[in-house]
Amino acid sequence: MAFGPDPERPDNWERQLKKGWLELAILASLWDEELYGLDILRRLEKDTDLVLAEGTVYPILSRLKADGLVSTKWVEGEAGHPRKYYSLTPAGRRRTVAMARYASGFLGSIRKLIAPVLAKEDK
Amino acid sequence: MMQSEKLQRKIDSYLAELRKCLGELPPEEVHDILQEIRGHILERAEASGELTEERLVAILKALGRPEEIAPLYQVDSIVAKARASFSPRVVLRAIHRWSHISAWGFALFVIGVIGYALAFSLALSGLGKIVAPQEVGAWLSPGGFNIGTTSNPAARDVLGWWLVPVGLVGGAITAVATTQLLRWTLRFARFRRPTGGTAAC
Repeated sequence: MAFGPDPERPDNWERQLKKGWLELAILASLWDEELYGLDILRRLEKDTDLVLAEGTVYPILSRLKADGLVSTKWVEGEAGHPRKYYSLTPAGRRRTVAMARYASGFLGSIRKLIAPVLAKEDK
Repeated sequence: MMQSEKLQRKIDSYLAELRKCLGELPPEEVHDILQEIRGHILERAEASGELTEERLVAILKALGRPEEIAPLYQVDSIVAKARASFSPRVVLRAIHRWSHISAWGFALFVIGVIGYALAFSLALSGLGKIVAPQEVGAWLSPGGFNIGTTSNPAARDVLGWWLVPVGLVGGAITAVATTQLLRWTLRFARFRRPTGGTAAC
């Protein structure tokens, strides 16, 4: 039994915060097209620094599937090994919209709140 | 050739380690996970041009250690299954898994065990009353109250045949209530996942 890591360590709060955003980022990356795991990772790496260990993205995808938000199919392709493609289910699209709306409103108010902090830092 | 064999062995040993850590998951799920991670490693390797040992080590390091990744799957998979299940075994197994990583999980596991034990003994008393009406009862004695059998000759059976419906219905209600409580609490479990490195495998 463990009581969890020390929440005050900066890498821990950063990790927690990133984990929530990561889920939204993964869902959003599937908005326009179906992708396989490494596709999603590459996209996240290109646009964000959300991914801490690449291997953590796969269990998140597995949970999104268990929650019925994405569906999967194996595709035998030119790669020489099968790829597991993920796409949003109707429930997943609804969830993504809801999360995106929430995130957008949230970011707007956070930006206002932290503006003075950053302004002070600049001086 | 020697070099590529050595690299292949390194990949295999990483996947074998992961398989070991995924131990408790259903075999078809383990197969899927290994296939996906294997694809990831191979594709990263191909993208890097000529694969060197150094490069492979970097790919595996970026992926994370098997003992860090595996528990994320286990909690995810078992908890997801339990949230959709009415089986005490499945639900309790998820809570048990949770109890390894959180004090909350441990407390709920204890509550779950007590709840199911109470449900089981109530139902057993109801059935026992049918089989052995003289021995089984809801006994009230100067020493206290107990349901089941008693060795106290002064004890009085307060329920009589009512123990049958009370035991069976009460047992069923207790079991369902315990399951519902545990299932409800499981929705919070994901927030208490380990950040890695706590699994023994």
